[in-house]
Amino acid sequence: MFDLAFKSIQEAIYMSGHGIYVWSVVAIVVICLVYAFANYNLKIKKLIKKLNESN
Amino acid sequence: MWGLFFTPEDFVQGNSYRIIYLHVPASFLSQSLYAAMAIASVIYLVWRVKLAAYLIISIAPIGAIVTFIALFSGSVWGIPTWGTWWQWDARITSTLILFIMYLGLISLHASFSNYEKADKLLSWLVIVGFVNIPIIKKSVDWWSTLHQSASITLTDKPSIDPSMLYPLIGSIIGFFGLIICLVILSSYVQILKRESTKSWLKDYV
Repeated sequence: MFDLAFKSIQEAIYMSGHGIYVWSVVAIVVICLVYAFANYNLKIKKLIKKLNESN
Repeated sequence: MWGLFFTPEDFVQGNSYRIIYLHVPASFLSQSLYAAMAIASVIYLVWRVKLAAYLIISIAPIGAIVTFIALFSGSVWGIPTWGTWWQWDARITSTLILFIMYLGLISLHASFSNYEKADKLLSWLVIVGFVNIPIIKKSVDWWSTLHQSASITLTDKPSIDPSMLYPLIGSIIGFFGLIICLVILSSYVQILKRESTKSWLKDYV
């Protein structure tokens, strides 16, 4: 169950020709999640700063 | 990581099936988040719990992102598997409607200057729109679709091999954890925005 499915990094990237599909999905998921986390953290920082200034 | 690197290659679909470890959690969560919004809407309309209203508008953008991921991953998976990236079949179309509904709810809420009115209208619309969730779920049974039927159900034995099933369950739990964190952050933003004039928040911050 925990045996590596690929013999090399190149094989893992290429995935018998399917790498372009798999890795493009991985990239979009990572971009969406990183953007969402960064965006919310930035908004929280801005709102806290605004609140502190109004105090 | 488990699904991407440690599961065996699929006999029919080759390595393209590894998209399942992102597509299934995203699809599952796109519907679950909407269900959570519907529950929050009922709580808000019946008991007038403000936090429930904050939760509805906090979940909507995350639901839109997750539904976009589900649609995108499904389309990309469709290219090597079906030979097409899009098909107007019941499952895909109803999921697209869900995505449009999320965007519509966000736009509608943003167009109001009166938050209370916006919350009330949004809650009713979420409840009405909930009808789409069983349609998405049952679309593969009710209509002849290109999309396969569910591999994991509560009542039947999974039709997926355990070597692929356990990483899938792991990815669903992991994705669920990430999305819960995002919902907490988003709710925090809503509280900071909407309670900014309240003294308790100023004391807290």
